[in-house]
Amino acid sequence: MSEDERSGIVIDLARRKQRGQENSPQHANRNVLRHSLVEARQAAAPYVTMARIAMTRLARDRLARTGALVLTMLAFIAVFADVLASDLPVACRWRGVVYVLPNITRPSALRDDDCVQMERDRGPGDWLLTPLVSYGPAKAGRDREVLLAPLLHGHPFGTDALGRDVFARVAYGARTALGVGLAASVLLVALGVGLGALAGFAGGIVDALVARAVESLTAIPTLLLVLVVGALVPHPTTTTLVFTIALTRWTELARLVRGEVLVALAADYVTAARALGVSPPRVLWRHVLPNAIGPAIVGATFAIAWVVLVEATVDFLRVGTPDTMASWGEMMGEARAYTHAWWLVAFPGSALLTTLVALFLVGEAARNAIDPRLRGDEWTKRG
Amino acid sequence: MLRYALRRVLWAIPTLIATSLVLFFVTTLAPDPANMPGRTAAGRLLPEEARRSRFLDLPRFLNREPQDVRTLARLALAGLAVGGARQAGAADQLRALGGAAFPYVLPLLESLSPDARGRVAAALAPVAARMGVRDVGQLERPEAAVLFWTRFWEDRALDFTRGAVDRAVGRLVEHGSEWREHDLVVLDTFALPEIAGAISTTHDRVTLERLTRLAQHASGRGQVALADATAGDLRRIVGDWKEWWFVHGADFVALDGAERAVAFVTDTRYGKWLDRARSGELGVSVIDGEPIADKLLARAPVTLLVCALAMLLSWALAVPLGALGAWFQGRPFDVATSVVLFVLYTTPTFAVAELLRRAAVGHSVETARVGLAVGALAAGSLATLSRWQRAAMLEVVRQDFIRTAHAKGLSALRVAVMHALRNALLPMVTLAGLHLPTVLSGSFVVEEVFGLPGVGFETLRAIESYDTGWLMAVLVAAAVLITLGLVASDVVCSTLDPRVRDVLAGRQGGRAP
Repeated sequence: MSEDERSGIVIDLARRKQRGQENSPQHANRNVLRHSLVEARQAAAPYVTMARIAMTRLARDRLARTGALVLTMLAFIAVFADVLASDLPVACRWRGVVYVLPNITRPSALRDDDCVQMERDRGPGDWLLTPLVSYGPAKAGRDREVLLAPLLHGHPFGTDALGRDVFARVAYGARTALGVGLAASVLLVALGVGLGALAGFAGGIVDALVARAVESLTAIPTLLLVLVVGALVPHPTTTTLVFTIALTRWTELARLVRGEVLVALAADYVTAARALGVSPPRVLWRHVLPNAIGPAIVGATFAIAWVVLVEATVDFLRVGTPDTMASWGEMMGEARAYTHAWWLVAFPGSALLTTLVALFLVGEAARNAIDPRLRGDEWTKRG
Repeated sequence: MLRYALRRVLWAIPTLIATSLVLFFVTTLAPDPANMPGRTAAGRLLPEEARRSRFLDLPRFLNREPQDVRTLARLALAGLAVGGARQAGAADQLRALGGAAFPYVLPLLESLSPDARGRVAAALAPVAARMGVRDVGQLERPEAAVLFWTRFWEDRALDFTRGAVDRAVGRLVEHGSEWREHDLVVLDTFALPEIAGAISTTHDRVTLERLTRLAQHASGRGQVALADATAGDLRRIVGDWKEWWFVHGADFVALDGAERAVAFVTDTRYGKWLDRARSGELGVSVIDGEPIADKLLARAPVTLLVCALAMLLSWALAVPLGALGAWFQGRPFDVATSVVLFVLYTTPTFAVAELLRRAAVGHSVETARVGLAVGALAAGSLATLSRWQRAAMLEVVRQDFIRTAHAKGLSALRVAVMHALRNALLPMVTLAGLHLPTVLSGSFVVEEVFGLPGVGFETLRAIESYDTGWLMAVLVAAAVLITLGLVASDVVCSTLDPRVRDVLAGRQGGRAP
């Protein structure tokens, strides 16, 4: 009888003792054993996992709830920016044709029209369902008086120096910020967790190589690199930005994950799994990597915040995302010349600040919930 | 201890090489000027020249056929011998190579067919004119030209040796005279390596004028550094010559044996790039033709001053704030500072800077601008640092020896400062190195916002005009600075804490099994 079978029997006996069945001698059968183990697990109510503990902790945190709510709203704004502000209606009947969501599909028949004009020239039988604000983020104002105007009728947040609607640009800025943030962090987390786990698990030359890569990338200030790449690449797009950030910032997470993997590899349950002949990939996947999920989630949350920050800074310095995309940083950068147009700074600035505060709140709460051990200093501890 | 420091510094070398690979990859992203005529900067250089100045004519990592004057001369000769369509190009090439190609062209004259010989001799006529040969007119005739060049080589072959040129240039630098200058004019481009070397070492204005005049005469490009030029012009012209030699030097030098083998690696884009980064010959800015190294040195003090002041300020505030916050954990002081610092932490540096600039608009004096820039930069660092300090302090405060200190009746102040803070400062030293990149990036932002003429400000101008040389120089400088910062913080930390030293030095097996 092997060691684990014997210990199983001990559990089994204990369970049966509780139920008053201590005198049943024929339990050497493995099936019976397995059944009783499952029973034991089910009986140990409530059945809690680490994930559930973390979720409960997170849900109990008032600041985290607020942050999550704000983030949901921002995501909502980002997704439905077209409905909130667009130069074409959400739905309309125009010259006898019914258009559904022309603001997204952009039919060629309406190419030269916009809400304001359509409202004015409306013929019999035509109807419009206009968005909340009837201006798109890129459309420049035609009239002199809409340039740099505060809180005009129809422009709830005013207009900028080119006559573009600030509300529309703030709404579409949410899309840029969250989109870039999410995309870059997904890449970054994938790279960080993958390479960190590989380095920790494989050790030896792989570990050394990853360590060198981490060190050498740490030596490059990301903001500067993003600026330079944006300047050197022939056609800089948002994708360039996302890749530059992701390819240079996976290092901190990789370091962290490598540390977690090394700790897990030293644990007895991993030794046990290995002794039982579990294949190395399975050891990594089942027994080692789950330990790194917590840090990865926390890292992802902070990474989003960080990427949003870098994106805003880069755009503030007037390079990076192409001009058609509205971005909060870019808006604030453009506003630098107009010191007294407070609305040009106040709205994008508070949107950016709100996003960052919400992300940091959720990130901190996630860190505390998942692993109270991880605190500020752990983040940058060098492995 | 010293051993650890040395090891750390040595380990920084492969790190920097890996960094250089990354940065080199970044440069290769820049568009080839041949493909994008509109985009390369300022139109100061022709596309062909711009390509060469970025070594786009070289292979990336391995050059199996490094070009030197010998191969180029052979190529030109072959072109002239064949004649036809390639003839004109080959003749131009030979003229550009000039005297440097003589040792590889003139001895071969006899072995060429009469036609080819005539064509070669005719192609060399402009070189003779450059060298000041009196009756150039008769050199147009092939027979006369061949006769002349054969005689010339018989007479002067001894002058066309490196040693002779070296002596001639040395004499010119020591006691310049018209006559000695003329001696070198006769050598034409063959003397360029020594002349270029002398240009970068000499500081005497008259000698510089003579040398640059010689270089201009032989190469048919560039400017003469007149003796009465302003210091700035002089620097620019000398920088321009150095840059030109760095790019074109290989055209006038013959590679022999070992040099040729080394050129497999060095005469590549990466090799040249690395050589440039290592030697501090960072090239010339495309914006105003100033040497980049000089510009960097002129701009760096502003950036370093702002960074140093901001770091000092943020550390001076962050350590007490963080430590007090941890000491009074949960009390009103901690809550209040936490909230304020959290807001500061989340506010981007550029937003803080922009707000300060707007608040101070109207009465901005130079020093006030620097002050505001430092303040804006310090604000972000302050938040990060004090959060770290608070966390480090909390860690220490929970430990047994603090309770012991309290129990043996020490005053709270003594426990806080002597026992807790002393230990809580250690992790901060490690973090100081990691903090450097953030501060550097931040300084770029505040310089731009407050219009301080530092490296960051200049970098953003360089981005606008695609000054790749400057951008690379700044990236390399930042990488070196940051790596050194990391090394320094590790070394200091392990000096202060023997436990860290043991872990870092791997004596206790720095990692889990």
